[in-house]
Amino acid sequence: MDNLKNILEALIFISVEPLTLDKMKEVLDVSSEEEILQALLHLGTEMEESPRAIRLVQTGGGWVFMTKSTFDAPVRKLLQIERRKKLSPAALEALSAVAYHQPVTQIDIMTIRGVDSTHSLHTLLENKLIKISGRKDAPGRPLLYKTTEKFLTYFGLNSLEDLPREEELKKILEEGNT
Amino acid sequence: MARREYPHEEGPLEIFRTEERDFPNEEAPLELLDGREGEELGAADREFPDKDGPRNEAPGTASLEAAVSESGWSEKDGYRIKLDIFEGPLDLLLFLIKKKKIEIQNIPLALITREYLDYLHEREHINLDREAEFLLMAALLIYIKSQFLLPREQPIEPDIDPRKERPDRTGDYERVRVVSAVLRDKEEEQSTIWRRTALNAPLPEQDLDLVEVSLFDLAESFFAMMKRKQSAPQKIIKVKEISVADKTKEIILALQTKGYLDFLEYLDAQETLEEALVAFFCLLELIKARRVMAVQEQLFNTIKVWLRKEPAGEDA
Repeated sequence: MDNLKNILEALIFISVEPLTLDKMKEVLDVSSEEEILQALLHLGTEMEESPRAIRLVQTGGGWVFMTKSTFDAPVRKLLQIERRKKLSPAALEALSAVAYHQPVTQIDIMTIRGVDSTHSLHTLLENKLIKISGRKDAPGRPLLYKTTEKFLTYFGLNSLEDLPREEELKKILEEGNT
Repeated sequence: MARREYPHEEGPLEIFRTEERDFPNEEAPLELLDGREGEELGAADREFPDKDGPRNEAPGTASLEAAVSESGWSEKDGYRIKLDIFEGPLDLLLFLIKKKKIEIQNIPLALITREYLDYLHEREHINLDREAEFLLMAALLIYIKSQFLLPREQPIEPDIDPRKERPDRTGDYERVRVVSAVLRDKEEEQSTIWRRTALNAPLPEQDLDLVEVSLFDLAESFFAMMKRKQSAPQKIIKVKEISVADKTKEIILALQTKGYLDFLEYLDAQETLEEALVAFFCLLELIKARRVMAVQEQLFNTIKVWLRKEPAGEDA
């Protein structure tokens, strides 16, 4: 068990992209999924409880080590990043529309937002938060957009399932109205 | 033209004569004449209710007066259409058609368009906002009419009736706003934690799990390069015939000797714009045929083109 935990630590450490369960199974060929998940859980809590600066995070469909937020400043200094760029409100809205209605056309997004979203979509494409997934089988064969893996990791989501569901949204809306 | 039966027809078209009108908006003259006087009518077989007879007050056939006041329509000094069966601004016409007070088949759109263009030619100044609005409405009308003119195997279903407004998406927008707020919080949260980036990671020569780039990436880098090239002065103009087949062979040969090609470097090295275009086209074809693969090791890194291990059973 401890051995498995250590192997996983090494594998995740060496991976730049979130390490998926499938990949782990492939490398560890014998272990059952259950066993790996158990080991990951152990590893995660152990790191969380220790005074270390690194924690295990499940994001973008896999596991990755990330710094704790306390160490934001020194890390940024090392990477020479002044501030992380944030998405504009317009781009964020367009992205939300894509996330919930994907695959979706530009016209659909425009209908939802009520304003032209060409520029926002372009920004999102450039940032690789969305991608073209094909063309709609409709007059004019408009392009269809959907979110990318990077979209998930950017927002710390493990999968699209992590987005608030219909009921949760309703609740937030109701709270906002009262 | 034979009349078609539409399931959403709620009853005979109500036609109101001018003298019947009692508009809340007096200075807004509206002419709605008997449809039978129109030119391209197919409605001659219809029966119109006597103007003094009992009026059918079913929900779908609310009186025109109510319809007009409901529309919030008011006199604007915009362009007015004059037809035998309707006279007034276009938005009112659109409104009445949506309310099923007027049959779209009875509206000669070509005539409206022609007269409107004449009107535009005559004017020295045009109000862009208003004319854009006109265009939008005219386009809607044309869309609606086209939907009715096209032959259909099945009658139009009520819920896709083109005369209906598109479904209200404000609920969707509310949702999008909430999701935006949620995502913003997450973005905030994520902006303080970091994971390793592959700044210094060595790149293994082969068998690496690279991300295949999309057409969008390829086109993006290509057009960025073309822009650069365009601004560079072209000194020698050569006339050279380049065939796609030759170029494809050349690319494959280069790939076989070198292992990979730097996408931009290769295109940049082409002598002429034309040659670069052909090379780009060939690469796209090769990617499509799955004989080569375009990958990007890192975001913002160059795109590399590799020969696939097993070409799709063709001769190189």
